[in-house]
Amino acid sequence: MSKDFSIHVEHVTRVEGHGNITLNVKNGSIEKLEWSVVEAPRFFEAMLRGQQFNELRPITSRICGICSIGHSLASLKATEDALGVKLSEQTELFRRLAIHAENMQSHILHIGYLVAPDLLGVGSVFPLIGSKHTDTVLKIVKLHRLANEMSDLICGRTIHPIRLVVGGFSMFPTEKQLVHLQKRLEEARSLTQELATVIHSVADKLPAFERETEYIALSTPKEYAFYDGDLTSTDTGTLKDYKKYQEITNEYLVPQSTAKYAKHHRDSYMVGALARFNLNSKQLHPAAQDVAKLFGLKAINYNPFMNTIAQLVEFMHNIEDSLQLIDTVLNQGIKDEKPVKPKVQAGRGVGLVEVPRGLLIHDYTLNSKGYCTKANCIIPTNQNHANIQKDMEKLVPEIINRPEKEIELTLEMLVRAYDPCISCSTHYLDVTFV
Amino acid sequence: MKKIGIIGIGNLLRKDDGIGIILLQQVQKKKFPATVECLDGGIGGMNLLHVLPRYESVIIIDAVDFHGTPGEWRYVSLQDIRRKKEIIPASTHETDFLNVLRLSEELQELPAHVFIFAVQPKDMTVGTTLSEELTSKLDTLELNLQKKIQERIKAKKL
Repeated sequence: MSKDFSIHVEHVTRVEGHGNITLNVKNGSIEKLEWSVVEAPRFFEAMLRGQQFNELRPITSRICGICSIGHSLASLKATEDALGVKLSEQTELFRRLAIHAENMQSHILHIGYLVAPDLLGVGSVFPLIGSKHTDTVLKIVKLHRLANEMSDLICGRTIHPIRLVVGGFSMFPTEKQLVHLQKRLEEARSLTQELATVIHSVADKLPAFERETEYIALSTPKEYAFYDGDLTSTDTGTLKDYKKYQEITNEYLVPQSTAKYAKHHRDSYMVGALARFNLNSKQLHPAAQDVAKLFGLKAINYNPFMNTIAQLVEFMHNIEDSLQLIDTVLNQGIKDEKPVKPKVQAGRGVGLVEVPRGLLIHDYTLNSKGYCTKANCIIPTNQNHANIQKDMEKLVPEIINRPEKEIELTLEMLVRAYDPCISCSTHYLDVTFV
Repeated sequence: MKKIGIIGIGNLLRKDDGIGIILLQQVQKKKFPATVECLDGGIGGMNLLHVLPRYESVIIIDAVDFHGTPGEWRYVSLQDIRRKKEIIPASTHETDFLNVLRLSEELQELPAHVFIFAVQPKDMTVGTTLSEELTSKLDTLELNLQKKIQERIKAKKL
């Protein structure tokens, strides 16, 4: 069938920041298909130059309202790497709890408020209240609230954490607080199972689309990697020297976007929950494996729409692993540890962590007085832009004969599946007063 | 005890977008009664949903484009606000607070009194300093915000 049409979606909704989709079709063939990012470029690296080492974490935590814990941890790891700081076991345990809390917070936000409306056939989460799905929305809010309170408890504050400092924590929660958290996490386990059942009942709305690509994430034989691990690709295996991460994250500029793109072994690669699942699924807790089985999710899965399901799987893993970590902490007893005081010295440090949207890297060079002279931040969403574009190029010919509205919605759903955080740094409002 | 929440939202790395946080930092230097809590809401978003039930009244301080002159301020109740466009709920990941308030209302958790202290921004590009216009009006803004907070505290005593 030959037809002419064009689709232009300016500012795809239910994603963070501004991204546009343009599709022009003439005589049934694609003339133009473009995923473009129109946000002002970030200059966070420039803001870090000239700052003292203990100022880097507070600044970078404000890059993103969702991944402020992740940015904090990448920043601390880079700083501590540069200064040669060795952390206590207790700090390592609590940092893992912090990263679980953030992952839960972000994933439930994406699954519940941003993707569920697509699957339930409504434009947003709001019409669901008062409908037959009210109970589901309440479950989502409850789980999101728990994740927020867990972040508060571990990091001192949900948004822009304050207890995470160079060398450790400025304060730890009490054992009583952790016991309370443990109880709530146990309740969350059954709520998550119930939510998985609801999502499974509408999962047939997720397009059955596949495109082979490269997946990159941290990986370690010790655990399902979030806080620590080796830089690993499904194509090329493990990169031995983490300080040479640029061999993998080759960033480049494209004319249609202000954000950087990245590629490694192929034209594009993907980071995020699906990438982690594809590399590390064997290390998931059994309850998380059960969620994967419910959806028939097996590694390697090449359907980007399944990223949301991988997030749900990870959510269950975060709960299970947090319960285990709290057990360990309670068995050992919480010590009143002060943060390790670093010896100020010149050096370069690289911090890698897995944040909700994927691999995040901070790379700092400090001078002998501990001031930052060079900084580089590799953000997950930038690593995914090229993959989104390549997915669209394969997806559109497969659905080109469908109604325009359906093509448009499918493309928007594809972008949303990646949970992109195009600009996590503004929330500008535009209103009229009457 | 139900409290009055003073919540600043904005991004300190986006020049005038950080005005909500800067004003919060300024006003919280003064002592308030124990019923008042100051909260740095950062970029805010859906996370605000979970702090709202704590309060009976909230004053949200934020950069809002109401097509005024830079540094101009408005103090309005939630009812006073009408969105220019049709509301696109949860339109961005960092859902703006009007949608959060709406969800809070649906969940029957919305504080009884919600006010917004809105400041017209000029420059929202990346940077850690306010525009000249906002810097020059900072003292006036703080003074007026203080007045509004005191009015709210008094109203609670009645």
